[in-house]
Amino acid sequence: MSILTMLWKNLWGGNRTTMFPARPAVSKGYRGLVKFDPEFCGGCAICKFRCTARAIEFKAGKGEFVWSYDPGQCTFCGRCVEGCIEHAHKEGRTEYALSQESAPPPIYLTLGELKHSYTVKRKPPVAKPAAAAVKPPAAAPADAPQSPNPVPGDAQ
Amino acid sequence: MTTALARLLIFPGLLFAVPAAWFFLWVERKAVALMQGRVGPPFMQPFWDFIKLLGKTTPPRNGVGGLLMRAWPLIAVASAAGAVGLLPVLPASGGFEGDLILLLALLELPSMCIIAAGFSSGSIFGEIGSAREAVLSVAYNVVFLLAILSIAASQHTFSLEALAALPATPMRWLGVLALLVCLPAKLHLNPFSLPNAEQEIYSGPMTEYAGPELAMWELSHGLEWVAATGLVATLAAPYIATWWLAALVFVALMFVIVLGLSTLASATARLAIDTTVRFYWQCTLIFAVLAISSALFMRFRS
Repeated sequence: MSILTMLWKNLWGGNRTTMFPARPAVSKGYRGLVKFDPEFCGGCAICKFRCTARAIEFKAGKGEFVWSYDPGQCTFCGRCVEGCIEHAHKEGRTEYALSQESAPPPIYLTLGELKHSYTVKRKPPVAKPAAAAVKPPAAAPADAPQSPNPVPGDAQ
Repeated sequence: MTTALARLLIFPGLLFAVPAAWFFLWVERKAVALMQGRVGPPFMQPFWDFIKLLGKTTPPRNGVGGLLMRAWPLIAVASAAGAVGLLPVLPASGGFEGDLILLLALLELPSMCIIAAGFSSGSIFGEIGSAREAVLSVAYNVVFLLAILSIAASQHTFSLEALAALPATPMRWLGVLALLVCLPAKLHLNPFSLPNAEQEIYSGPMTEYAGPELAMWELSHGLEWVAATGLVATLAAPYIATWWLAALVFVALMFVIVLGLSTLASATARLAIDTTVRFYWQCTLIFAVLAISSALFMRFRS
């Protein structure tokens, strides 16, 4: 009998269909498109190495790097964002370059239609406050890089 | 007073039956949608579906098998339309009248065509659907035929005209109830929607059909709705001499039956084939045998 009561309530309670172009609200913790903020990106390319779907491309250049993201290939697993957070913490920063939108991804018709590339200028390395107190080893050559963490993209 | 030809072509024949088929298909889909909290299709959707399907091309079919595949939907539409034309809604003035047995045969032909179409298609889904339709047909038809027999025995006639004119007896009501129990299976509605179970076997026998052939199947299904609900409405409606009032009561009763069947369809889930057979042969058969034995007993006593 409860099913009949439910049908009766549905009949008079209006429909729950979301009419186009409105889209249904996503649940808490939904992982949408990966957002990139070039201001915080140090060009470590951890995200590229963590991306198993090969949606992120990273090309290192002289004094700059190109970061690309193709939502058509992305599986929205969030591994790149997790890597970015971990790496940011390791670097002693509180902000990180990658995050995920809490909205469904847009509809696309051709592969690569939503692909975005960012050309980011490399920032001059900033020494950590704790690292500043440590004296550099005497054997180090004078023209050695100042950053304690070499950027992996540079090796490419 | 109308002639048999006018009844076949105008009311309740083709001119009424085809729009009524689309209307009842819409009522069923809309009612189920509203009861499930959805919007449902717009009013003209079944008609536009039909027109759109007519405009599509059909896959090439060669040989006798192909010819048969083209023929099954046409036979199904013709028999369902013939069954609707036999319903004695308005008093006839002559010509071919037919009887309950012919009506039953015409009502059964679309089901036979579906079985044959599934096996002709050579698709595994079609064959499974046809096998299910055959088992379902054997399951509910025993009850359906016993119900019809009990009605005929209780009223001493197989003539549709006479049945429509005679006042209903308690035995006839039992028979009408048994017919109603068979309708969901005859119209492939939940919980007996086994032959066209979309989630399991796509559309079963309809899987290999497209374009105008599929449009004909849709039309035959709609006409089956009109014929089957019309048969119950004819037997349940009281005799009314005024023709327009009789037609109005007939349509209203059909509408109520369609709404009832839609409610059942949205309130239930699909049963397995063995459960369906058990339901008809164990539960409903007893009820139908009781109806026919009581009708025969009453007949011999009178």
